Amino acid sequence: MIDFLQLTVAGLSQGSVYALLAVGLIATYTVRHVVNIAQGDYATLAGLGSISLVTAGLPLPVAILIALISVTLASVLIERLVIARVKNLTTLVSIILTLGVSTLLQAIMLLIWGAEAKRLPAFPGSDLTLGGVSIRSQELWMLGALVVVGGGVLLFYEKTRWGKALRASAEQPVAARIVGISPAVASVIAFAIAGFVGATAGVVSSPIYLSIWSGGLLLGLKGFVAAVLGGLVSFRAAIVGALLLGIIESYVAGYVASGWKDAVAFFILIIVLIIRPAGLVLRPNAVRV
Amino acid sequence: MSYLNKAAMRSKTGFWPNNRGTILGVAAFAVVIAIIPFTASSSMMNIAVFSMIFALPAIGLSLLMGLAGQVSLGQAAFFAIGAYTHAILLQKFEMPGPVAAVGGVAAAMLAALLIGLPMLRLRGHYLALATLGLGFIVMIAVREWEFTGRTTGIYGYGRPEVFGIPIDNNGLFFWFVAPFVLIGLVLALNLTRSRAGRALSAVNDSELAAESLGVNTYALRVKVFTLSAGFAGLGGVFYAYQVQIVSPQVAEFHVSVELLLMVVLGGLGSVWGAVAGAFIVELLSEGLRDLIPAIIPGATGEVQLIGYGLVLILVIILLPGGLYQVVKSAWAAITRRRADASAKRSPVIAAADDDGSGEVPTRAFGGLPSETTAGDGLDEVADAAASDARIPTVSTPVAAGEPILEVSGLTKRYGGVVAVDDVTLTVPAGQIMGLIGPNGAGKTTCFNMITGAIAPTSGTVRFLGEEIQGRKPHVGAEAGLTRTFQNLQVFSSTDVVGNVYMGRYRKGRAGILRGMFGLQGREQYAHEEIARDILDSMRLGDVAGLAAGDLPFGRQRMMEVCRALAAEPALLLLDEPMAGLSGSERELLAQLLRSLRDAGLTIVLVEHDVAQVMALADSVAVLDDGVLIAHGDPESVRNDPAVIVAYLGTDAEEAEAELKELEDQS
Amino acid sequence: MHRAQRRLLLPAAVAASIALALTGCGASNFGGDSGDSASEEGPIKIGAVLDITGVGANLGVPEQNTLNMLAEQLNAEGGIDGREVELIIKDNQSTEDGAAKATTQLIENDDVDLIIGSSRTGPSLAMRPLVEAAQVPTISVAANAAIVDGSEWVFKTAQNDLVVLERILDDAASKGYTKIALVRDATGFGEGIADIITELGEERGITLTATESFEPSATDFTAQMTNIRAADADAVIIWGITPSAGLAQAAYVQLGVNKPVYQSHGVANDAFFEAAGPAADGVIAPMGRLLVADELSDDDPQKPVIDQFIADYTEEFGSAPSSFAGHAYDAWLVGTKALESAGTEPQALRDAIESTADLVGISGIFTMTPENHSGLTADALIMALAEGGRWTLYEE
Repeated sequence: MIDFLQLTVAGLSQGSVYALLAVGLIATYTVRHVVNIAQGDYATLAGLGSISLVTAGLPLPVAILIALISVTLASVLIERLVIARVKNLTTLVSIILTLGVSTLLQAIMLLIWGAEAKRLPAFPGSDLTLGGVSIRSQELWMLGALVVVGGGVLLFYEKTRWGKALRASAEQPVAARIVGISPAVASVIAFAIAGFVGATAGVVSSPIYLSIWSGGLLLGLKGFVAAVLGGLVSFRAAIVGALLLGIIESYVAGYVASGWKDAVAFFILIIVLIIRPAGLVLRPNAVRV
Repeated sequence: MSYLNKAAMRSKTGFWPNNRGTILGVAAFAVVIAIIPFTASSSMMNIAVFSMIFALPAIGLSLLMGLAGQVSLGQAAFFAIGAYTHAILLQKFEMPGPVAAVGGVAAAMLAALLIGLPMLRLRGHYLALATLGLGFIVMIAVREWEFTGRTTGIYGYGRPEVFGIPIDNNGLFFWFVAPFVLIGLVLALNLTRSRAGRALSAVNDSELAAESLGVNTYALRVKVFTLSAGFAGLGGVFYAYQVQIVSPQVAEFHVSVELLLMVVLGGLGSVWGAVAGAFIVELLSEGLRDLIPAIIPGATGEVQLIGYGLVLILVIILLPGGLYQVVKSAWAAITRRRADASAKRSPVIAAADDDGSGEVPTRAFGGLPSETTAGDGLDEVADAAASDARIPTVSTPVAAGEPILEVSGLTKRYGGVVAVDDVTLTVPAGQIMGLIGPNGAGKTTCFNMITGAIAPTSGTVRFLGEEIQGRKPHVGAEAGLTRTFQNLQVFSSTDVVGNVYMGRYRKGRAGILRGMFGLQGREQYAHEEIARDILDSMRLGDVAGLAAGDLPFGRQRMMEVCRALAAEPALLLLDEPMAGLSGSERELLAQLLRSLRDAGLTIVLVEHDVAQVMALADSVAVLDDGVLIAHGDPESVRNDPAVIVAYLGTDAEEAEAELKELEDQS
Repeated sequence: MHRAQRRLLLPAAVAASIALALTGCGASNFGGDSGDSASEEGPIKIGAVLDITGVGANLGVPEQNTLNMLAEQLNAEGGIDGREVELIIKDNQSTEDGAAKATTQLIENDDVDLIIGSSRTGPSLAMRPLVEAAQVPTISVAANAAIVDGSEWVFKTAQNDLVVLERILDDAASKGYTKIALVRDATGFGEGIADIITELGEERGITLTATESFEPSATDFTAQMTNIRAADADAVIIWGITPSAGLAQAAYVQLGVNKPVYQSHGVANDAFFEAAGPAADGVIAPMGRLLVADELSDDDPQKPVIDQFIADYTEEFGSAPSSFAGHAYDAWLVGTKALESAGTEPQALRDAIESTADLVGISGIFTMTPENHSGLTADALIMALAEGGRWTLYEE
């Protein structure tokens, strides 16, 4: 039982990283219909960046803040320099395009930070043991980041006028214009949000999972799997899906074989896509034309 | 998917059936292959060998992306399945090389078939991500499975032998692979020009229109996906032979990225491009591995990725057609002068050159072969040509007056809105029926449900006694139900005769295999001839060679009618065929429809122009707000009070008064 | 006609570019196998295939450094029998197929006389059938005994995992442990370890109660360590290479598993301390004498060799060598001694390596026989204790 709870805790904290990345993916998908394969690389970039800043002697909070802002700007830059340059960008082409972005980002990180995994110092706090289940303070930081940042994005999109207009801009550019948001601005805002959320995931998870140049792809894809569970539009379903995914992975690693852990997400992806391509919460859309 | 289609389609135009260029190209390539081992340095030779090996999965991926309009980010999975199966059959079961190789290819194709059956129903980007997931699953599976040698993999099976000569150096190995690449290249080129290839190109232009002409998109996509995996599997077989060990790295994601890059760089849908892409990417990879550590001291690892990422981004932004597009535009620029010179003699081509692209639209069909109508089993062709009336052939499966289409209780709801409400009507064979009603009455929705474009919420549609509601459009089309579209669905990537040729799809038989081996030329010529006859009968013969998208609106509409007629339908559904036509064109079309009716064809037309319908139709049905409010001969419908209300929006007495007033005035 | 030309253009362009790209110096691409590689003139060619990038980089990079340094030294001294030694190092990117590709190139294109590598077991196993078929003497610097078991042409210089496990289990038995749990690397280095422990444990009254595995690229070990924590064991063996074995050590401590830990000789470098941090303290691992050189007694026959190597390496690269650098040193030593005595004829060279006797190296004193292509005994190992960020001598 203690093992079960321990694995659940591990799964939840891993799931919170997937959840943040899923939030970032949905933020751009709803606005731009872009599936951003580079979403996970934002996390690695922020992780490695903050590690360098800490190594250079900056205090941890300052280093993290600079990393978050830089990655947010990088995401906006990617939107302006790459995404916005393609006319009639379909979702399918966006996948190929952002795959290129992801590959480029990884190569740059490899050149700057080298091939080895690096670790950010743990955030303040002490680990605790509850009934035999050890909980690392960093895991609480990760869940906290999900609640604050992920929840914030969710509220922004669902409750504020701007957020709603942003969401509408993909389907109804006119409606968005009424609130004063042009599709270009909407896209920039969405990518800024995606960058910030991804960066947050990267810095809070680095003390436990480390940051390595090639790690973002798999992270981002698992975020995507969670996002698909929410039909690529529902933040809530995606967050729940991400936490579930983390927990299932953890159980598979603990009870089946750790090597199969990374395959779990993709089995889920394929099964969900085949059975319910519209996601687990929405009713399948019957119209074909 | 516009980006994918565009590039894919252009490559088809003008390809077929002109084989001479291809033969010369392949011959030139063969000569280069023969020479390379004598001239290349040893490191270049190494690159050449791997380029050849990777050209195979790249050709497969190119077919999948160009023809089927689908992207696979898991091509490495099939590459790996081919390689592992081959290695395991050699090493654990000690099978002879050729048997193991066939096993490797078969395993890859079988895996693709099993995976493709459910996954190819998904929309494009979902398929891309599902295949990406598949790649990871395969990699993890071979890494964790004892049978596949876990992380170390399968090794210790020796080099291949051909006629007792061991293929144990790069030069011989290059010659060992090259014939397979050449044959694969030719087969793939044939396929792009075949009936199936052209159908898939049409699908990329308009899936709905292609399916309405009988194209079973899903089945074709599954076949191309499987074929594509076969190419990947064959590449894997050679890889296993060359590297002498198959380990989980062959299934890694960056192998899939590398293959994707080859295809995107070469030009989507261009088979030559895929082969060129394979060579360039391998050169790029090797070059960057040397270059980057020289520029950035201490750089190690997969530094070539920086080039992959950059090239992928730049090609998509600046050069969506890839190298194929570059070569093509360069050639177009060179030949422009010649085109200008010939403009005086050929005004049509000169006019077409003004489309802004600066390209001369090439005809989908080359010159007419002399043996066209001499073929066996092509009697219809001869008949059509001989007929003085020049009326396209129609099929009349039931006697005039018998019901051909029976619609019962047809209903469509969108959320709370009822678009079509419980419509029941029967269309007797050999008649023209008009379907009229105010805007938004649900006429097109009815059409869409009858043809299978959308599934009804409830109700049945019987065509020739067969229930077809909720089935895909190709089901009805195969049985002889064809339609045109209110919003034109032109196959813009091919020319006019190419569009009408697609109408012949359901009359053809050649499948993917026959297409690949080029065994269908005669069939295609015959169908092309029929397509031209139909165009002539509608006075479109002069524009047969123009790109379809360049025609004026009215002529595009006429072309769609021709396309539908080319299918030799039993029932023709026309959605506002008169819209946008000139007076003389309308007259021509009306005449044609009457003579087709007299020849036994059943026609249902939705039309806005009530006067036209009343003049043309044998019976008229009226829809208002999704409800069938009247059905009968034109005269009785004209006088039906409910119809008058529907059109004038007032109650019956007022309407009648107003109508009388109007009549008095005139 | 236009069409025909248009069709021709792309293939012609492809053909032209390929022809241009590939027109090289015209070297023969049709092999040139064993015959000319035994030529007695020109430089002696030694090829090396190492894990310079990827998960094995902590091993491969110091090995590369060592070989480069030794080749320079040797050529400065006039080479072997007056012949220059040409060292060709290739990176296998820590992959099996990378190792196979590199080996094929060394054999078919570079006609090397001797091959050193790879750094890890998996890639070394992948090289074995290739060098056996081409009959090129090869010295691996990886550990697993399977690399040389029954091989004619392959030798190795790292201590056998069998010997390492014997040391660990002897120590465990002396402390009264009877139940051991294992967390192992999922690659060739870790495969088969559970079986050896079960076998060796039997005679020592030790049973293996749990086995978990991890990828060398892994960064999260929570699931494995949770299972290990729940396992009924007196001590735990973590069997892997750095950095993953160090990260596993950190996760082990973070999750509050309080049993003593043995690690393998795969952590015999400073990178282990970077990865594990303070969690490393108290870990015991068997390894060669190199890392505790300053604690060796003066009458140790290896001491002068080790001291010289440390001095040279530190001067050249600014940091002390790891055990893996030592394995590369030993491979070079065994190989060049054999080349000196037998020349480059493959069969003679192979026989010379196999008759290596009492050769004092960094990891121990080597004596090869037809049955033992590894050359080291349990004496080559000491037990080291991790303390304050470095390895200290725990037991001779």
